[in-house]
Amino acid sequence: MAKKEILICAGTACLSAGAEEIKDKFKEEIKELNLTEDYETKTVISNTGCIGPCSLGPIAIVKDDNTFYGHLKTEDVARIVREHLLNGRVVEDLLTEEEGEKVEDFKEIRFMKKQKRIALRNTGIIDPNKIEEYLERDGYQALKTVLNELTPLEVIEEIKASGLRGRGGAGFPTGLKWSFAHQAAGEQKYIICNADEGDPGAFMDRSILEGDPHSIIEAMAVAGYAIGADQGFVYVRAEYPLAVKNLKIAIRAAENNGYLGSNIYGSDFSFNLEVRVGAGAFVCGEETALIASIEGKRGQPSTKPPYPANSGLWGKPTVINNVETLANIVPIINKGSQWFSSIGTEKSKGTKVFAVAGDVKETGLVEVPMGTTLREIVFEIAGGIADGKEFKAAQIGGPSGGTIPKEYLDLKIDYESVKEAGAIVGSGGLVIMDEDNSMVDVARFFLDFTEDESCGKCTPCRVGTKRMLDILEKILDGKGSQQDLDKLEELGNVVKETSLCGLGQTAPNPVLSTLKYFREEYEELINTAEEGN
Amino acid sequence: MEITIDKQKIEVEKGKTVLEAAEENGIAIPTLCHSPFLEDVGACRMCLIEDLADGKLKTSCTTEVKDGMEVLTKSKRVEDSRRTILDLLISDHPLDCMTCEADGSCTLQDLAYQYGIERSSYGTKSEPRFKVERDNEFIELDPDKCILCGKCIRVDQDIQCSDAIDFVERGFQTKVGAASDEGLGGEDSTCVFCGQCVELCPTGALSYIPSQKKGREYNFEKTVTTCPYCGVGCQLELKTKDRKVIEVGSVYREGTPNPYGEACVKGRFGYDFINHPDRLKKPLIKRNGKFEEAEWEEALSLVAEKLTEIKDEYGGRALAGLSSAKCTNEENYLMQKFMRAVIGTNSVDHCARLCHASTVAGLVKAFGSGAMTNSISEIEGSDLIFVIGSNPTENHPVIGSKMKKAHKNRTKLIVADPRQIELSGLAEVAVQQQPGTDVALLNGLMHVIIEEGLADQEFIAERTENYEYLASVVEDYTPEKVAEITGVEAAKIKKAARLFAEADKAAIYFAMGITQHRTGTDNVLSVANLALLTGNVGRESTGVNPLRGQNNVQGACDLGALSNVYPGYQSVEDPEIKEKFARAWETEELSAEVGLTVVEIFKQAGEDIRGLYIIGENPVISDPDQRHIEEALDSLDFLVVEDIFLTETAQFADVVLPAACFAEKEGSFTNTERRIQKVNKAIGPPGEARADWKIISEISTRMGYQMNYDSPADIMAEIAEVTPIYGGIYADRLGDQGLQWPCKDREDPGTKFLHQGEFARGKGKFHPVTYIPPAEEVDDEYDYIMMTGRMLYHFHTGTMTRNSEPIDKHEPDAYLEINKKDAKKLRIKEGDRVRVTSRRGEVETNVRIGDRVQPGQIFMPFHYAESPANRLTNPVLDKDAKIPELKVTAVKIEKV
Amino acid sequence: MAAIKLSALDHIFEKYEGKKGKLIPVLHEIQEEVGYLPVEVQRYVSEKLGVAMSKIYGVISFYSFFTTEPKGEHTIGVCMGTACYVKGAEDILNRLKEELGIETGQTTADNKFTMTMTRCLGTCSMAPVIMIDDQVHGNLEAEKIPEIINKY
Ligand SMILES: Nc1nc2c(c(=O)[nH]1)N[C@H]1C(S)=C(S)[C@@H](COP(=O)(O)OP(=O)(O)OC[C@H]3O[C@@H](n4cnc5c(=O)[nH]c(N)nc54)[C@H](O)[C@@H]3O)O[C@H]1N2
Ligand SMILES: Nc1nc2c(c(=O)[nH]1)N[C@H]1C(S)=C(S)[C@@H](COP(=O)(O)OP(=O)(O)OC[C@H]3O[C@@H](n4cnc5c(=O)[nH]c(N)nc54)[C@H](O)[C@@H]3O)O[C@H]1N2
Ligand SMILES: Cc1cc2nc3c(=O)[nH]c(=O)nc-3n(C[C@H](O)[C@H](O)[C@H](O)COP(=O)(O)O)c2cc1C
Ligand code: SF4
Ligand code: SF4
Ligand code: SF4
Ligand code: SF4
Ligand code: SF4
Ligand code: FES
Ligand code: FES
Ligand SMILES: [Mo]
Repeated sequence: MAKKEILICAGTACLSAGAEEIKDKFKEEIKELNLTEDYETKTVISNTGCIGPCSLGPIAIVKDDNTFYGHLKTEDVARIVREHLLNGRVVEDLLTEEEGEKVEDFKEIRFMKKQKRIALRNTGIIDPNKIEEYLERDGYQALKTVLNELTPLEVIEEIKASGLRGRGGAGFPTGLKWSFAHQAAGEQKYIICNADEGDPGAFMDRSILEGDPHSIIEAMAVAGYAIGADQGFVYVRAEYPLAVKNLKIAIRAAENNGYLGSNIYGSDFSFNLEVRVGAGAFVCGEETALIASIEGKRGQPSTKPPYPANSGLWGKPTVINNVETLANIVPIINKGSQWFSSIGTEKSKGTKVFAVAGDVKETGLVEVPMGTTLREIVFEIAGGIADGKEFKAAQIGGPSGGTIPKEYLDLKIDYESVKEAGAIVGSGGLVIMDEDNSMVDVARFFLDFTEDESCGKCTPCRVGTKRMLDILEKILDGKGSQQDLDKLEELGNVVKETSLCGLGQTAPNPVLSTLKYFREEYEELINTAEEGN
Repeated sequence: MEITIDKQKIEVEKGKTVLEAAEENGIAIPTLCHSPFLEDVGACRMCLIEDLADGKLKTSCTTEVKDGMEVLTKSKRVEDSRRTILDLLISDHPLDCMTCEADGSCTLQDLAYQYGIERSSYGTKSEPRFKVERDNEFIELDPDKCILCGKCIRVDQDIQCSDAIDFVERGFQTKVGAASDEGLGGEDSTCVFCGQCVELCPTGALSYIPSQKKGREYNFEKTVTTCPYCGVGCQLELKTKDRKVIEVGSVYREGTPNPYGEACVKGRFGYDFINHPDRLKKPLIKRNGKFEEAEWEEALSLVAEKLTEIKDEYGGRALAGLSSAKCTNEENYLMQKFMRAVIGTNSVDHCARLCHASTVAGLVKAFGSGAMTNSISEIEGSDLIFVIGSNPTENHPVIGSKMKKAHKNRTKLIVADPRQIELSGLAEVAVQQQPGTDVALLNGLMHVIIEEGLADQEFIAERTENYEYLASVVEDYTPEKVAEITGVEAAKIKKAARLFAEADKAAIYFAMGITQHRTGTDNVLSVANLALLTGNVGRESTGVNPLRGQNNVQGACDLGALSNVYPGYQSVEDPEIKEKFARAWETEELSAEVGLTVVEIFKQAGEDIRGLYIIGENPVISDPDQRHIEEALDSLDFLVVEDIFLTETAQFADVVLPAACFAEKEGSFTNTERRIQKVNKAIGPPGEARADWKIISEISTRMGYQMNYDSPADIMAEIAEVTPIYGGIYADRLGDQGLQWPCKDREDPGTKFLHQGEFARGKGKFHPVTYIPPAEEVDDEYDYIMMTGRMLYHFHTGTMTRNSEPIDKHEPDAYLEINKKDAKKLRIKEGDRVRVTSRRGEVETNVRIGDRVQPGQIFMPFHYAESPANRLTNPVLDKDAKIPELKVTAVKIEKV
Repeated sequence: MAAIKLSALDHIFEKYEGKKGKLIPVLHEIQEEVGYLPVEVQRYVSEKLGVAMSKIYGVISFYSFFTTEPKGEHTIGVCMGTACYVKGAEDILNRLKEELGIETGQTTADNKFTMTMTRCLGTCSMAPVIMIDDQVHGNLEAEKIPEIINKY
């Protein structure tokens, strides 16, 4: 009899939905039935990272036939073990029902069907704490190829040719960034993985680190080789204890297996990694602030130039890449830049992971080719708006992003188009809002966030966001006037144009975009105020 | 390259910022967070310009020029944005200009005026958000007035290097704060009240407490002059109003010892002694044991008469004079001229005898010149700095900060001090040798250097003599043996030796820990040996650098207030030189014999010495063995003291003459780097006090030797004629930056560092020395070694700092430092009173417990007349330099 | 409060010996061990790492994760991320305030709970969520609050 393997999602969402108890129950059952290792049948329970459709958790997948069981309860476990594992019969009534039909195959469930997983290729499939599982899926082959067959410049050329752009927000071409650091003078260079993921609503970086940490380690080593860095840092936010834990386990495993350390694959390339944990400051996701933070300072951004690629950590040339950006590196090396650049749109290649949340039926991580429309994501993947409500708006890109109305449902999501619509792809936070939401309140929420997270260094952001917030609150309190609206817009533009770093430069976006698309909501509040007088 | 600003084409150097380019071309751009001395951070966003290339607004202070760049500095978009930013700042600012200290010198106010912002369009702050911090005597911080430009923090961290303040909290809650957010005076604060942050603050957020409500910037007259305290010679701006010094501001001027406006707490806050009510205002004559005010005429005649009487009866050699390192060059010159040409004695000396006499003796032997070889500005260029027996962060604070800055950037540091001083904490190697064991330590370093082949053989061969002898003497000093003598681990000795020898540019800095020993000259010779051995003299950023103590101790020595030399270190025993001076001074009186030194004068008082003329010294507190000094003064036939206060010493005088202080006269001081700098008169003297040069002239004239100088400049001209090293020094040449001697003639630009190519004496000479222990060692009864010295806030006998209200309030009490282990042993707690007894006397004082001193040792500052350390010290002298062993005294300690 | 044994923290300093930029990781580990970062701890860190006290306070006060006040036995982090906000986190917060009688940043009188506001915990799919110590509680409704709290 074949070995049966059950994957139980151990992502944060599933865990808190009770995945731990499900797992215990499985163990208990298996023990009871004596399906232990010396038995003919070998049943393995894996702990994967986040599988993706978090709102369906707790989740178990029977790996051999890809059967997907969602919303599991402990009482379901016995049946799955007895019927499916022992007798190979799918437990029909536990399957997820979509549009009146039971879906058996994990890949066929609506949430997964339209996805194309590159960055998330391993998450939810392998046990992040077992390096063997990563190795089984071509792990550390890209590093081997690079070290044995390519010069650093060839690696950079390959990444350039792939068209990969930074997934951390700015969309800067990754290969170009590497080439700057490669050219920069200096013996000591660094590579940093930005895993600060501060954007509220985005959690793809967390999932990758929790579920597939080796892919990041391998990518960083490749990057290190390309730019000439022998030391890397992963800066993870403190709110992600599981990511830190899994990453540390993975680093140790990589070290023990010679994928980190001295003379990797017998080459003269050496590379070490250190994990640094943030301490609760959103602005530390900004690269210069992040560097200051690793240096042990207050995480205040500094003016650019000089760019980190020339003068970064401790004044040395440094490449900073986002987790998701790095997650694309290994597939590009393994499958070639041509393969990668064949996916996506003209200027935005590959896929993008979106963290879909809010008022949709199913929430979770969605990886789709660049250029997929908003409508496809909201309606075809996430199942549309929950509770029979109407789609009203999508907030893309978190506090730096903007709010897009339903006229834009057919917007192809790539860097340029989204920007044109007044938002940014950003980290890929996608919050869907139904008709019940007040856009002014949403704008206030984001501004409250940025005002609170402003580092305080420069005037327009420190005082400007505060004053914008004052005005918004006044409007929401029903005390606003037309003048306040003008002032808000005017100030928003100054804050945007004159702030030192990306935080201040984008902080007004939610306000400005809602003012653009939902001005009537503001005016309504003002009119009631003026009538009240 | 060429750029276009506001349609105007401008040539600029690469690497400049747009702001600099604009400023150089007279285009004004408003700034709040920019300072030319500090790294630009682009925080305030006031200096915006519009870059036509990408249409973006950029901060000109952080944007480098690019060839072909086109920018606008006054477009509507730029001006509107600036106005909005100002509007935002003002929306969070109390409009307190009416009562604000900064009114009239506030950049925020100026800009609001310029942009016509009367109040913020976002509403004006009505309630304070923060509390005013005022937990110390010196500086107030009102965070509500702060615009968070961060200049205070940058100057504190990057120039002063005190790391006392930083931003705290974040976002809209951000403010400037000290350790644990407790205020500058808090328990953990490292603020040293240098005031540099206040100087750079563009608003009234930081202000000086002592000058509050006493006037604003536009009420003051301003005079730039030289600090009257230590030998760094900082340039300061005295701000005066109604004949009072109200505040001391910074001078930002290249080529001075403090180009970035640096100062320390004494220079910044220690000015109110000037207007102190106790200043002497009229001459005093003692009648029946009591002082009575007298007219100048009477007092001067009496002095002239008495001095003449003694001279006639016992000969000129029965008189002696103490000149003053507090007085100007011109005054010191006159004083020694008076003693030599009028009285006929070489017994004129001054506090350098207690200070760097051994330096002069030692370095003249080794190099041919006794001064600091290099300059303050060279500190940053050193690869390694070796500080031995000097505590710069307290006693030469501006130099201390420069060392810290150098260390922060790249310079390595070795510190050898029996105590754990601030610099020890930073040093790559810090050793705590037993007091008085420096010769052994230095010999040990040289032993390692020679043994490991690290000596600079080329330098030794070309530029030195007597190397073989040195090598043979240090051969005995193995690290193990030295460890036994000094208590420093052998491994550390080796490490220090290697570090020193391997540095390309290594500079040695030393002071009283080296000089104030009966082996002071030996110590200095050892230091010189080490520099010669490693080729570290005669080049920039290297050298042997004695940090001279008093504001003008260098000048007083240069101008011959020493018993063995005429001005310019010309020997009194050389007949040709004597002849030269006799001719120049038109006198027959010159003595060919070396005179008595400070301590010797007191030893001979009442015997060979019958009368004494003291200018600006307070030996009752500053000389060793106080009881003996008091007896000596009592035994004199006649004592005249010329001072600004009725000091402990003046109390013994028959006549007391009131002198004008530095702020009240013209002249020059020479700082530790041989820089002669102007002293400028800011206000008139109190009462009838007169400048010392005038008083000396009057006495001299009354004794029949005419001194008719119109001004100190006249005296300077005479100095130039008889003093080769000052040959080119004329008052009119001193300008803004002064001149560094040697300066031979009017064309000579002066000398930054000495002994380039050739030593003053030709070749540098090794003088090997063997270790001799200090005169007193511990025994069963006197079981502690007491060191004496200084602390940051007070200066010497306290006549100035203890008469400065904020300073004395901050550090009011005498104390000794003791190790916590000893405190435990003696069962004493912080602040307890103890009695300290030596073979010569006893004092009571308070204890400060910690680990600055090692067990078995104590340290006592000598600033406090109520607990005078010099009641205990040992007057044993170095045989060459006649400097007393002020650093090692055996004492016992009892709780009272 | 019991005195903190500073030398018990030495292993943390040893662990980071020779590393650059160790201030923040050291503060993290100490806070983990001691629970907070009082002045005496700051002094010890300053001495051990040679970092000025002013800078240490600057850092501690900058990062919301660090605290100079002792915390309660359990820390409740109320997620105020976007998804949670959209799904009614404010109600949850208010209910918690009511139940515990404290504001965010405060600790209950019995020292049992400290309540903080956190930014997105990355569990948006279960919004609204709170995190008690390391445990996430998702898909909350205000009514469920008392039940959850009572478990601790
Ligand atoms: N604040 C302040 N500044 C001053 C003065 C002042 O009174 N107050 N005075 C000025 C004057 S005139 C002078 S001369 C300078 C003096 O400046 P410094 O020489 O720096 O002052 P000191 O405190 O006398 O001694 C310096 C160090 O010598 C150490 N020491 C003691 N014994 C030994 C020893 O045997 N060997 C070695 N290597 N070190 C030893 C002491 O621990 C002390 O740290 O300061 C000048 N600046
Ligand atoms: N135990 C111990 N004793 C020491 C030392 C030590 O380290 N330990 N250090 C020694 C050293 S290095 C030194 S330099 C001496 C310093 O010893 P002193 O020179 O005796 O000390 P100061 O207090 O500086 O004395 C200067 C006097 O000049 C007066 N004065 C100031 N300005 C003027 C002016 O313009 N005109 C006139 N006429 N008077 C003025 C002041 O009021 C003061 O009385 O102390 C020495 N004594
Ligand atoms: C306020 C602010 C927050 C940011 N937060 C993050 C973040 O959490 N994660 C991230 O990868 N990039 C973040 N960025 C972008 C980074 O500064 C940087 O551009 C990015 O890490 C570069 O990596 P990439 O080129 O791979 O995208 C942030 C930027 C700003 C201005
Ligand atoms: S824009 Fe905001 S976060 Fe960025 S430096 Fe300025 S104050 Fe800090
Ligand atoms: S700081 Fe300047 S603007 Fe503010 S109250 Fe004082 S003078 Fe007026
Ligand atoms: S007075 Fe000096 S030491 Fe104190 S905070 Fe200001 S700059 Fe720093
Ligand atoms: S106190 Fe003054 S110098 Fe310091 S940040 Fe505030 S305004 Fe600037
Ligand atoms: S360092 Fe010396 S010269 Fe400068 S202000 Fe202080 S006491 Fe005066
Ligand atoms: S956490 Fe389980 S699917 Fe995301
Ligand atoms: S002066 Fe340029 S930003 Fe402040
Ligand atoms: Mo001195």
